[in-house]
Amino acid sequence: MQNKNKKFLPFLYLLPTAILLIVFLIVPILYTFYLSFFDWNLIAPTKEFVGMRNYLEVFTDPVNQKVILNTLIYIVFLVVLNFLFPYFISLIVKFFISKMQGAYKVLFFIPSLFSLVVGAMVFTWILNPVSGPLAYVLKNVGISMPNWSNSGILAITVICFITNWKVFGYNFILLLTGLGSIPKNIIDAAKVDGIPKWRLIWNVILPMNQGIAIYVLILTIVQGLQYVFTPINVITTGGPYYGSSNMIYQTYLNAFVLYKTGTSSALAIVTFVIFLILLFIEIRFVERKAKNYA
Amino acid sequence: MLKKKLNLWHVLLIIIILGAIFPILFMVSNSFKTLRDSYGTMLNLIPLHPTFENYSLLNKQVNLLGLTWNTFLMATMVTVGKLLTGLLTAYAFRSYQFKGKMLIYLIFVSTIFVPFTIVMIPNYLVISKLNLLNNIIGVALPQLCDATGIMIFLKTMEKIPNSLIDAAKIDNIPNRKIFFNIVVPILKPSIVSVGAIFFINSWNEYVWPTLILKDKSSFTLPLALQNYISSEGGTNFPLAMALSTIMVVLPLIIYLIFQKYILNSISNSGLK
Repeated sequence: MQNKNKKFLPFLYLLPTAILLIVFLIVPILYTFYLSFFDWNLIAPTKEFVGMRNYLEVFTDPVNQKVILNTLIYIVFLVVLNFLFPYFISLIVKFFISKMQGAYKVLFFIPSLFSLVVGAMVFTWILNPVSGPLAYVLKNVGISMPNWSNSGILAITVICFITNWKVFGYNFILLLTGLGSIPKNIIDAAKVDGIPKWRLIWNVILPMNQGIAIYVLILTIVQGLQYVFTPINVITTGGPYYGSSNMIYQTYLNAFVLYKTGTSSALAIVTFVIFLILLFIEIRFVERKAKNYA
Repeated sequence: MLKKKLNLWHVLLIIIILGAIFPILFMVSNSFKTLRDSYGTMLNLIPLHPTFENYSLLNKQVNLLGLTWNTFLMATMVTVGKLLTGLLTAYAFRSYQFKGKMLIYLIFVSTIFVPFTIVMIPNYLVISKLNLLNNIIGVALPQLCDATGIMIFLKTMEKIPNSLIDAAKIDNIPNRKIFFNIVVPILKPSIVSVGAIFFINSWNEYVWPTLILKDKSSFTLPLALQNYISSEGGTNFPLAMALSTIMVVLPLIIYLIFQKYILNSISNSGLK
């Protein structure tokens, strides 16, 4: 009796989480997979089976092709702004200055506290090409501000900057923590040997910090593509002509604006597959802990 | 020789801080200017004629108290749910050996890699079937558990010495009591910081609420703010800044109080 009870107990503790995960995560993923083979509009009583047509549409429809290309542009911008930039700064703070590290951490993090809707709103004004303060300052030095919301690539740039405003501090702290966990004697030894700092960083520090760096890099892509949803929806609603939409936003548009549930589901599945590839990389390089439970 | 060379890197870092903080100062200061004043003296961070005009106008246009209450209630539900499920799950992992442990752990890790778009349609349909559209319970229900919380709690719990738990077990203290009277008090700092992070994130949440809350009386603050932007260009920015300012007060206060804990938790979440 005692023994049986013990076997049962851990599952009792896991039960609430398990129910929530099954009902709101696992079953929905399977259902979306099912929907991706049907033509449906979210309301009609019947769904029409169309085989692989929705997937074909994801890759052949010109709008979707544009959106996939945009997604790649977003990934490049997000990696540069939200990964490489904070990584560079965390190296500076760790190795090139000796004071105020704590203060920088506290201050850099402040924008992470605020809603992206607030960020989108404030930056829409600051960057407004007619009445914004930046346009005003630029006009005084004789430069006219481009109407960025009319250009897909400029809109993408602005949207990525807004997410950078929010995530920079967060990623900075993660990367700085990683650098902090490198044994100090390795760094001291290099100092004694008189190895230049940048060579030390390139040859020793970056390889040693690889785990957390890959973790932040992957998180930057996976969460970044979802974070940009908010400024896209608030500022451009994907325009001009899908120029600032990405796969995540297009999935939403198809589901709740165009009522094309099938295309939406196929897009969601394709996105998920891409994220799963990133997950395997993450588990391979980062999740050493999982082995403890093997 | 008298003074150490000024470290130029500090200049770069201070520019970054200004870039991060300026939008907030700009927002707060313009929320206290009239529409006309703000266009004339937009960049004056200290308003020449400070006024509460925008706030009182805002209060006439939307139900500020109702919006704040909705947002607070939703964020509280989500936070409490995530903390409870997170603590229970982490405790199961800390204290028991069972089959499928690694598989379950990997499923938790994977949940971070699930794009919300893949659960969006089915969850919308479930919430709609449950008649919870336009209800903050419908917003909270699908997000009562969170992998990040589980990971952080697990890391902290693994630091609790086995001897402590074993001693309690030898004394025949029931598991439920070990959990609530020993584990939970030790984890207090983590619970506070993770709870603060959950609360702030949920307070700011936008995507899922826009799908569920269509009726203005059920709106949370971010949804109400979004209504103030107009794609045709006629946005009353000072008014929008007033609502934005109201939105950032609570997260800022929470950060001021728990800053140290919050930053520690975030650092920990990255250490694998």
